[in-house]
Amino acid sequence: MSTFTKTMHLLQFTDSTFPVGTFSFSNGLETAAFEQVVHDAETLREFVGSQALQAAFSDGVAAIHAHRAYLKGDYDGVAEADRALLAFKMNAEARLMLQRMGKKLAELSSHLFESQLISRWLDDIRAERVPGTYPVGQGMAYAAAGVSEQEMFCAHQYGVINMVLSAALRCVRVSHYDTQKILFDLAGVAQRYYEEASTMELKDMNAFFPQLDILASLHEKGNMRMFMN
Amino acid sequence: MTASVPEVDFASAHEMQPYLREPDAMYVGAPGKHGYLKLRFALDPDGKSILREIDRRVPLIAQQELYFDKEMPEMPCLYILSSGGPNVDGDRYQQDIIVEKDAFGWVSTGAATKLAEMKYNYSGMVQNIVLEEGAYLEFMPEPVFPCRHTRFICDTRLTVHPTATVFYSEIYMGGRKYYGEGEMFDYDILSVCSHGERPDGTQLFREKFVIDPSKNDPRRLGVMGRFEIFANVIVMTPAENIERIYAAVTPGIDRLAMIATGITTLPNDAGLLFKVLGTDTGRVKQKIRDFCSLVRQTVKGKPLPEEFPWR
Repeated sequence: MSTFTKTMHLLQFTDSTFPVGTFSFSNGLETAAFEQVVHDAETLREFVGSQALQAAFSDGVAAIHAHRAYLKGDYDGVAEADRALLAFKMNAEARLMLQRMGKKLAELSSHLFESQLISRWLDDIRAERVPGTYPVGQGMAYAAAGVSEQEMFCAHQYGVINMVLSAALRCVRVSHYDTQKILFDLAGVAQRYYEEASTMELKDMNAFFPQLDILASLHEKGNMRMFMN
Repeated sequence: MTASVPEVDFASAHEMQPYLREPDAMYVGAPGKHGYLKLRFALDPDGKSILREIDRRVPLIAQQELYFDKEMPEMPCLYILSSGGPNVDGDRYQQDIIVEKDAFGWVSTGAATKLAEMKYNYSGMVQNIVLEEGAYLEFMPEPVFPCRHTRFICDTRLTVHPTATVFYSEIYMGGRKYYGEGEMFDYDILSVCSHGERPDGTQLFREKFVIDPSKNDPRRLGVMGRFEIFANVIVMTPAENIERIYAAVTPGIDRLAMIATGITTLPNDAGLLFKVLGTDTGRVKQKIRDFCSLVRQTVKGKPLPEEFPWR
């Protein structure tokens, strides 16, 4: 596959119109805005930065392992990354989000191209033999489309950051200029995360974001529902 | 005859790689630096829950069990102490707590656990907590205080029968706030992993947090924000209790009292996870006790007694 085609695939998979449902989640931002924890561009920048870091050493690590397992044709490795990530996700709504998006990505991938591994994964998701988490789906889909592990990690980070920033335009008093500036600046941090995440085993996945966890919990038990989480 | 003390080694952990140098002083795991504690609760022939077995190596000590819980006088209560003061460089500890079928118990520490300054190596602890059919355990230790340049890693395995209930709590302070100029978040690393499984080996959840203040400031928004104390509570309990307890808890953020609580359910229907952030130890502990009281009420039909005024 030519570099040209791979880049086209990368752009397609990271586009916000790629129908996996990213638009319907805010990753707790809705509650953070309501509780006045996030109220301007500066607090939004910190909040998004924390979300990106939280994802890097959990979802990002699982995606890297799924990407590597796919290239080796190792389905057990894919399933192991999938189960490990679900067992690591402490927040009920986050699990719901990852599984919904994961299944959608598996269905869409099966429609876009032929892949035995992804078809098997989709069958196992439907039979509830694997949880079907989105980052594991990303790892496989990007590998299948010829996108490198490093570029896949960029797409993963971009996806997390962009998901929260898109939601911010609807629930925080910020402009498109603010959100684009945050997205542009955070690009510089992702490389450091990749360098560390790419050396980590599944057992090394870690996250310490109790404030995000508490905000997610308030959303989970609350009545606010502009976003699914 | 007492069994040999199991090895405690975290050399393979990704985050501990910078801290594997042998200390110039007492070597890693030297006698007195390799604590071991085994506690086994069981029912005696009259159906009374007792501490059936205790095995220990310095510096870990467990007092004799006492029955001082006013609301549950049948509950054996036990304090774990350390004769060695704080955890120091190169210390290794293991604590095994087994609660046999239908037995129950309450375990805490006599005072806060201090983690001393470290220069070469780290302090590590392994905990194995096993609950058999119908067993019940409340594990509610006093807070852990890291000092400047503390390196601490802890791995807790909770092996719990689907009919048993464990209440497992931890409180981590930001540091010694009033020592010298203050030592908040001045430690090198805290790595804490708690994972739950069934007796047949089925893995249910794995929570791991690594806090390295030199890499990422814990005071940033989303991590601790303006809070200084973090508490984590894992409750593994049968499915019918999960729903009842979850429904009865109202999480919230009190900006005036600076205390926040959150609750969610663990993966694979394993139980519940309750988190507290605060700036006042007393308030944080009270939130944990209120939550424990709810769990006890749901499982045993009794509340927690009021805390002793000197605790």
